[in-house]
Amino acid sequence: MQKILILEDDEKLRYELEIFLNRNGYETEGVKHYEQALASMVQSDAELILLDINLPGADGEYLLKEYRKVSDTPVIMITSRDSELDELLSMHYGADHYVTKPFNPQILLAKIVAVLKRSGGQAVCDTVDCGDFVLDLSKSRIETGAACAELTVNELRIMKCLVKNRGSIVSREAIMNDLWENEAFIDDNTLTVNMTRIRKKLEELGLKERIVTKRGQGYMLL
Amino acid sequence: MKFTTYLWERWKTILLLAFAVMTTEIFLLTYQVNGFVHIYVALAVPAAFLLGVFLEYHAKKVFYDDVQGKLEQLEEKYLIVEMLGAAAFTEERQLMEILAETGKSMAEQVNAHKHIQQEYKDYIELWIHEIKLPIATAKMIIENNRNAVSESIGEELNRIEDYTEQALYYARSSYANKDYRITKCHLPDMVNEAVKRNKQTLINQHIRIVIENVDAFVYADAKWCHFILNQILANSIKYRKETDSEICFFAEQGKESVVLHIRDNGIGIKASEVPKVFEKGFTGTNGRIGKKSTGIGLYLCKKLCDKLGLGIELDSEENVGTEVRLLFPKNSYFGEGH
Repeated sequence: MQKILILEDDEKLRYELEIFLNRNGYETEGVKHYEQALASMVQSDAELILLDINLPGADGEYLLKEYRKVSDTPVIMITSRDSELDELLSMHYGADHYVTKPFNPQILLAKIVAVLKRSGGQAVCDTVDCGDFVLDLSKSRIETGAACAELTVNELRIMKCLVKNRGSIVSREAIMNDLWENEAFIDDNTLTVNMTRIRKKLEELGLKERIVTKRGQGYMLL
Repeated sequence: MKFTTYLWERWKTILLLAFAVMTTEIFLLTYQVNGFVHIYVALAVPAAFLLGVFLEYHAKKVFYDDVQGKLEQLEEKYLIVEMLGAAAFTEERQLMEILAETGKSMAEQVNAHKHIQQEYKDYIELWIHEIKLPIATAKMIIENNRNAVSESIGEELNRIEDYTEQALYYARSSYANKDYRITKCHLPDMVNEAVKRNKQTLINQHIRIVIENVDAFVYADAKWCHFILNQILANSIKYRKETDSEICFFAEQGKESVVLHIRDNGIGIKASEVPKVFEKGFTGTNGRIGKKSTGIGLYLCKKLCDKLGLGIELDSEENVGTEVRLLFPKNSYFGEGH
């Protein structure tokens, strides 16, 4: 499990951030006393640091600048300042990303994943084994022992969504949300067409009726 | 300033003079003085008076014409005192002193208000800065406790966030300071950002998004543009048709500018109201019937565009749809490929 150090002086926000990150498979460590902020950053064995710019008694940009002298651990700045200058300054001091409050938690998560991926902390798993078939994310296809089916970009994203929530219902809205987040602004009809195509491709691989439609609720991968 | 008027205003003096001349003539008659003296007194005294008044009038006219002329050339009229030399007469000197005094007092007043305004702007910016923390926290709480209720609160929270942002840009648009930074921006990124920000509503309301040929680079401030696009998109969402709504983005490369079109097939705006949409506080028929409008959104867009040097135009046909065009000038100053 990868560890994330959180420097955010608002206790409630820090608490909720920790819950959110824990649920998404990260270990967290929250800093509570900011007199020794730099020391706690240096001593921590975290793989990533979330750093607020406005901390009591310490300036995030200064902390980052000092921290960069001793460590290369990725740092994502979190701030409610939204001036271009602050962003520039942070990037200049070596921040890996810059998030402004109020942030969309899912976007923060995506940025964390991206930064950790880049820093090479984790071997990226690009195939998902689903028992009788494998979803290959890098080649964008479904493979069974004997055959394989190519997926379009949108189909792959939909499959990923279904595989991730295997055994539970995924609403159409949730699938669309995921696609839209990745800048594929598809409408209802297109989603229906994509679902039909995926079903057909699965059927051709001998995987019949693996995607169940729950009327008014969504889809479920068995 | 006319001489006759100037003269008439001195009627009391004229009366006194006439009285003096007449009494003098009576004395002269009584003492049976030479006829020549009679004529001399009757002509020379009024003539000397008239000449004196005329000379005085002329000097004053020269002075005031000079003041008037300088006043007309001045952009900031209240600075007139600084433009004038020393006055030749006591009255004018006194007037200048009064003017200088009022000018000074006014400058102080203006400065005091400028100061108050700046303080207020600072406070608004600080407040917006502060309010972002509870909004961020509330969003995290919703994310950690997803259910129908929390998601509904989340939608309201997004509205709060939008209004907060509007207040921030309103404060920024009203002041002379330069809060923006022009950079090379990728148009598709800007469009995608705006769509993504509104995705919840767009998906829930089944609004189709079509993005075609927006691939271009423009020179603008990314954050301000994001705000402007978001306002335009929010309007398209608000004034949509009940069914089958669509919002279409496409760009056109003109000779002097890149034009981004945002076209919807919504309820549209009455032809008579179209020219007023950028006015502050204008809500129109649509804004009054059912859809609450503040009349601030487009007004702010226009103001921000003016500051950034962008063009903004709006066309609409009732029951057909609305198209907003953003014109990004291809400024030779920025140049392509630098």
